[in-house]
Amino acid sequence: MPDGQTSEAVSGEAAASALAYLTEMSPDLRGGAILDSEGAVLAASGQPERWRDDAAALLAAADEAGGEPVEQLHIASEQGEVFAARQSGLVALAVTDRFALASLLFFDMRAILRDLAEGGDGKGRDGEKGADAA
Amino acid sequence: MPPKPHRVLLDRVSGYADEAAAYMRRRRVARQPFARLYYSEGRASEHAADSLAGAELFAAAGRLVEVAGKRPGAGKRQR
Repeated sequence: MPDGQTSEAVSGEAAASALAYLTEMSPDLRGGAILDSEGAVLAASGQPERWRDDAAALLAAADEAGGEPVEQLHIASEQGEVFAARQSGLVALAVTDRFALASLLFFDMRAILRDLAEGGDGKGRDGEKGADAA
Repeated sequence: MPPKPHRVLLDRVSGYADEAAAYMRRRRVARQPFARLYYSEGRASEHAADSLAGAELFAAAGRLVEVAGKRPGAGKRQR
């Protein structure tokens, strides 16, 4: 499947599950959101309208800065760090405390987006293992 | 011949001072804000906060940090 396309529409329930899983895996995470290709919020840690508007502004500024769509971005300021990743037509956003482990977080964000795009709930095989064990 | 005692003391003090200076230098670099963008073909770019694009990126990121708020349980971390 080419990047930038999802095989099917992702449900809000699956996105919420994926976001919860990301929160569980990332102790530094303050909040996050998952958006579809149109910029609509599928799941957010609160205030979906603000996540939608502010994420759109951030991604537009990032795309404009380089003259082409960004695949991922990482912005660190005194107040916290912002991560965004685009995968399979979906966007994951995460806000963390300072000095979060960027490569791990990007890996997790990409993994949940890939799983969501394939019709999963973002947990992938780990989630299945966890469900089997429980 | 063993070094004079005051030389040992001076070496130790200057060693600690060098360590402290290096720590402060690393800390200053690590605390600098940055905006890094990564593209599909592997290219990456960094935008300074005082550039036009950087200012927009930091402003937009600041709004997202505000929306996310504080981490639940922040400040209660045990040492």
